[in-house]
Amino acid sequence: MEGIMAIWQRDVIKFFRDRARLVGSFAMPFMFLILFGSGMSGAMSSMMGGSEASGPLADFDFVEFMFPGIIGMTVFTTAIFSALSVVQDKEFGYMREILVSPMSRVSIAIGKVLGGSTVALFQGLMMLIFVPFIGISISFSMILQLIPVMFLVAFALSSIGLLIATSLKTSQGFQMVVQVLIFPMLFLSGALFPLSGMPAWMNFIVKINPLTYSVDMFKKIILQPEQMAPALREAMGLNLSVFNHVITLPEEILVVGLLSVFFVILATIRFSRIEA
Amino acid sequence: MTNIVEVKGLKKSYKEFEAVKGVDLTIEEGEIFGFLGPNGAGKSTTINMMSTIIRPSSGTAMINGYDVVKQKNDVRASIGLIFQEQTLDVKLTANENLMLHCKFYGIDKNKREERIQEVLEIVDLTDKRSNIVETFSGGMKRRLEIARGLLHYPKVLFLDEPTVGLDPQTRNHIWEYILKLKEKAGITIFLTTHYMDEAEICDRVAVMDHGELIALDTPEALKNNVGGDIIEISTEDNIEAKKRIEKIYETDVTESDNKTLTFQVSKGSEFLVNFVKEFDIPITSVNLRRPTLNDVFLHLTGREIRDETLSKKDLAKQQMRGRH
Ligand SMILES: Nc1ncnc2c1ncn2[C@@H]1O[C@H](COP(=O)(O)OP(=O)(O)OP(=O)(O)O)[C@@H](O)[C@H]1O
Ligand SMILES: [Mg+2]
Repeated sequence: MEGIMAIWQRDVIKFFRDRARLVGSFAMPFMFLILFGSGMSGAMSSMMGGSEASGPLADFDFVEFMFPGIIGMTVFTTAIFSALSVVQDKEFGYMREILVSPMSRVSIAIGKVLGGSTVALFQGLMMLIFVPFIGISISFSMILQLIPVMFLVAFALSSIGLLIATSLKTSQGFQMVVQVLIFPMLFLSGALFPLSGMPAWMNFIVKINPLTYSVDMFKKIILQPEQMAPALREAMGLNLSVFNHVITLPEEILVVGLLSVFFVILATIRFSRIEA
Repeated sequence: MTNIVEVKGLKKSYKEFEAVKGVDLTIEEGEIFGFLGPNGAGKSTTINMMSTIIRPSSGTAMINGYDVVKQKNDVRASIGLIFQEQTLDVKLTANENLMLHCKFYGIDKNKREERIQEVLEIVDLTDKRSNIVETFSGGMKRRLEIARGLLHYPKVLFLDEPTVGLDPQTRNHIWEYILKLKEKAGITIFLTTHYMDEAEICDRVAVMDHGELIALDTPEALKNNVGGDIIEISTEDNIEAKKRIEKIYETDVTESDNKTLTFQVSKGSEFLVNFVKEFDIPITSVNLRRPTLNDVFLHLTGREIRDETLSKKDLAKQQMRGRH
C-alpha cells in the first residue's frame, strides 16, 4: 500500500516541479479555444441557419459547445501520455530501482496509473481557469461532479497508456503510437465538433469509441442539456444514443468504469511480466 | 560461519549464445567477494541472476537462504544493488531519492530519518541532501547510489562495476566507503570489476572469462599460483634473449610492446643476482616484482585484461552516464 503511494507521490511531485510543462499544458487547449472555437463559431452558426436563425438554434455557441470537449482532450492526452514516464524510467534506468525492490508489480502498476490519473485530474481542473472568459457559468456542485468523473476517465486512459508503455522500449516509439491512437479517437468523440449527420460506418466508430462517452459525461455535467430546447440539444449532438436508447450519465459512468477495470487489469498483467 | 550465498550450476543462454556457462560458488557472511573479468565475460549477467533481475536458464542461487527464482521478494528484501548503469531519479533531490527507497522497502516510518542521515554520512553527502541530483558530479551520484543501496540494511550488497568511468581519486574514495561499510555493518559484498587493483582488496576473487569461472581463490593464492615472481627485462637483442632464456631456464617468456620480456621464476631476488652476472646479451633494464592479478589472468588465459585503457564499450557507458 505504501509502495503504491510512493510511486504515486513521485509522479505528482515531478508534475508540480516541472513548471515548463505546467505552463505549456495550457497552450494547446488555449489555442483550440481561440483559433478553433472563435474562428469556427461564425461558420458553425451560419451552418445552423445564420445570424437570422430563429428560435432555439440562435443560442448555439460553439465555444461553449467546445469547452467540455477541451477539458476532455486535456484529460485524455495528459492521462495517456503520463505513461511516458514508465518508458523514460526504463530508458534512464530508474525502473530497475523500482523493479528490484520488494514491492509487488501490481502495486507498482496501480501506483503508476493513479499517478497519471491524478496529474490528468489536476490538468483538467486547471482548464476551468478559462471559464470566465468563455461566458459560461459553472457551479460548485458541477465541479464536485466533474472531479470523480474526470478521475475515472483519467484512470481509464492512464491504464491504456501503461498497457502501451509496457510493450515499448523508447520514448519516441511511445509518443508515435499514442498519437496515432489518440487523435482519431479524439476527433471521433464529439469533443471538437457535433457528431450529427455522419455516414453509418463513422457513426459506428463513434459509438464504440470510449472517448465518446467520456466527453459526453463532461458535456452532460457542464452544458446541462436537459435544460435546453430539444432542437438545440439535437444540433449540439447531445442526444447520444445507442440502439435508439438515449444513454444516461450513470450508464456512461458504468461503461467507462468497466473499461477502466478491464484496461487496468490488462496493463497490470502485462507489467508484471516485464524484466528489469 | 554460514554461507550467505550459494550458487550451483547457474547458467544463462540468450538463444544459441551461452552468456554464463554454469557458475558454482559459495560466499560466507561478511566476505568481500570479487568477480573479475574482461568486457562481456558474463559478470553482469551473473549478478543479475543472483539478484532476481533476470531468470536463470538453469541452476540455482540461494541468497540469505532464499531462492532467487521461487522467493524473489524475500531475496529482494535481503539485498542491495548498485547497478552498472545509473539508476537515480535525477529530477529529484538526494533526500527524495532516499525517502522513496525507504518507502519501496517498507522501512519503519520513525527509522527513516535516522537511516538517511546515517547513510549520507557514510558517503559524505550530508550537506547535499536537499540538492537536485542532476547537479551532482558522476562520483557524487555513484556515492548516492551506494548510500541508497545501504538504506534497508541489506545482508548482501551487489556492486556491478561501482567505479567504472570515475577518475582514480573518486575511485579510491568509493573504495574507502566500501571498506568502511564492511567494518561498520558487517555486510557481505559482492562486486564485479575489471580493474586489477580493485580486485586486490577482496577476500576472495573469482576470475571469469567467456561465461566460465576459470579460478577462484584469495588474491594472494591466485598470485602464488602464477609461480613465484615476475621478472621484466629489456636487452639489446630481445629476440635472441627470449630464445636463450627459454632454453636455459625452461620458462615461458612473453614479449610486450616489442621492448620488455616478461617471465616467471620461483625465487626472484636470488635468481636475479646470478642472472645479471651470467647472461651474455647486454641488458638495458631489469625489474623484479610480485605478480599482480593481471599476471594471474594472463597466466590463466594467455591474454591480458586491459587495465587502465578504456575500451569502446566503456566509453559508451560513460556517455550513458553523462546523458542525464
Ligand atoms: N539481453 C541479452 N541478449 C543477448 N545477449 C546478451 C544479453 N545480455 C548480455 N548478453 C551477452 O552476454 C555476454 C555477457 O554480458 P555481461 O553484460 O554479463 O558481461 P560483463 O562481464 O558484465 O561485461 P562488462 O564488463 O562489459 O560489463 C555478452 O557477450 C553480451 O553480449
Ligand atoms: Mg557488466
